Amino acid sequence: MEGTSLRWRGILPAVLLAALFAYAAWPWLPFARAERTPPTIVFYGFSILADAFHDGIFPAFQKTWAAEGGGRVEFASSFGGSGTVTNQIVMGVPAQVALLSLETDADRLADAGVIPRDSWKRLPNAGVLNLTPFVILVRPGNPLGIRGFEDLSRPGVRIVHPDPMTSGGANWAIVAEYGSGFRGSPGGAAAGEAVLAGVWKNVVAQASSARAARTQFENGFGDALVTYEQDAIYDRSRGKLHADVVDPPRTILSEHTLVVVDRNIRPRERAMIDRFVRFLWSEEAQKIFVRFGFRSVRSELDAANTGFGTIAAPFRIADFGGWKKARREIVDGIWKDRIMKAPVRR
Amino acid sequence: MTKTPSALSAPRATVPVAIVLLVLLPLILMPLSAIFIFAFRGGADDFVRALSSRDAQFALRFSLLIAFATAAINAVFGTYTAYVLSRYRFRGKQPLGIVVNLPVAIPTVVVGTSLLLLWGPIGLLGRVLSPLGLQPMFAPAGVLLAHLFVTFPYMLGAVKPVLDEIEGTYEEAAYTIGASRWQAFRWVILPALKGGLFSGALLTFAHSLGEFGATVLVSGNLRLRTQTAPLYIFAQFEAGNVAAANAVAAVLATLSFVIFFFLLRYTERRGR
Repeated sequence: MEGTSLRWRGILPAVLLAALFAYAAWPWLPFARAERTPPTIVFYGFSILADAFHDGIFPAFQKTWAAEGGGRVEFASSFGGSGTVTNQIVMGVPAQVALLSLETDADRLADAGVIPRDSWKRLPNAGVLNLTPFVILVRPGNPLGIRGFEDLSRPGVRIVHPDPMTSGGANWAIVAEYGSGFRGSPGGAAAGEAVLAGVWKNVVAQASSARAARTQFENGFGDALVTYEQDAIYDRSRGKLHADVVDPPRTILSEHTLVVVDRNIRPRERAMIDRFVRFLWSEEAQKIFVRFGFRSVRSELDAANTGFGTIAAPFRIADFGGWKKARREIVDGIWKDRIMKAPVRR
Repeated sequence: MTKTPSALSAPRATVPVAIVLLVLLPLILMPLSAIFIFAFRGGADDFVRALSSRDAQFALRFSLLIAFATAAINAVFGTYTAYVLSRYRFRGKQPLGIVVNLPVAIPTVVVGTSLLLLWGPIGLLGRVLSPLGLQPMFAPAGVLLAHLFVTFPYMLGAVKPVLDEIEGTYEEAAYTIGASRWQAFRWVILPALKGGLFSGALLTFAHSLGEFGATVLVSGNLRLRTQTAPLYIFAQFEAGNVAAANAVAAVLATLSFVIFFFLLRYTERRGR
């Protein structure tokens, strides 16, 4: 008796284990494989892009490619902070096409020898695929009465901010904060630095990407979040936003840069990738971006989305001499070297 | 005034058990239940839908396969290493014993970076392999390498104490009747090791299933290619899809509960 019950006790885990293994290995078993895996495009993008690409762009291109006789195409994708994605590509992830938040990240890829220098500038619109202004998210009803970045520098406002080390959005936010002061009245460099310093004195939590910062904010941290307008209004359009959007009178319009990583593209994939890249600037794809809350590089398409806020005096990175100069003078020169190194006064 | 053993153990357990439960409640039990509460907040339908998404299914299957492979490979390597450490005397045995246990204490993130700096395209070996078209990082092979590294000590820890305890005389008896080292291992040592192998493999399996820190660096986090279940959970949670994240988390939690249930029952039976 004892022997049989012992044996049975041994059989149960064995059966469970076998079942678990069968489940895990199922798609790779020869008879379960209905068809060969179709060609794949490996796409990496910065954090807020996931929904727009996964639910909008990828299915649309699959239809286009099939209609043009290309057959099936699959997408393998990964989304994270723009800096994180850039580091991954430098380290060798098999990304074929990547959409980065910052042109600086494309420059870093060129510095590392991953892509030819300025190769993205030969793409349509100098590589810029879509845009979105930087806005402020506040708790419902805006209890602190925040109207712009100047208000975020008031003592006692607790701010959630993405981390400039890994997040492209955080770098845009820094220029937005500085630029808001710089272009205000009386304005000037000192005013810009004052706003930036005031904001960063109030940062209570940092996250690796704009999307992760948003999750922190939604979990109840802080009074305000600086983020992409797209992230806020796309969720608002789905009834998923539990915060108010403040459109600052002066803020930056971020421009997102596409790069094509030739070294990860095999010759037989070339035509498919080229078609995909061209598709991204087509009216169809640009309309999808607008539907998902991005502003199109063809501004006439923006009317289709009624959720866009009104920014009184938007500016661009070109107004600060482009990213190379802005990175050196504002992000590194002021934020990193002066504000972050200043003694903490609390 | 003598007390019977039963009077000592049975009724008085209530208070200590209550204290333990009270301590564990905020530390372990409540966080665990939060996983399940949030996984099922949208109802069973949402749970099933979240779980049956292609990404989630792939992540779970991929994690399970990696865990099976890790457990199988480390069962062989770990047991052999334990056997060598326990049966042979050689110079540098002690440092070697320490080195193989190091993965327990090294942060898993460091394991990930070290693997990248060795096998990655700009790594020491990777620089040589990459032109040959061999790219273990950001591929399933890289995930497996990371998991083998991180879980190596568990097999060793489960097997070596048993090996150390086995009477040398049985083995010597086997040699005296002409057994080779392999025969002695196969017929004398291995049967005694069954318990250690079983619990070591389960521990390895469970750790591999939950591994995050090293995996996040070496996998490239590509959905449907190299995204393990913990990476899927992290990505979904960061993206604000709490229900999707927690559905998979609930499955992992249940799996490890089952694993440790068998582990405990097995070790208890042997202990008796």
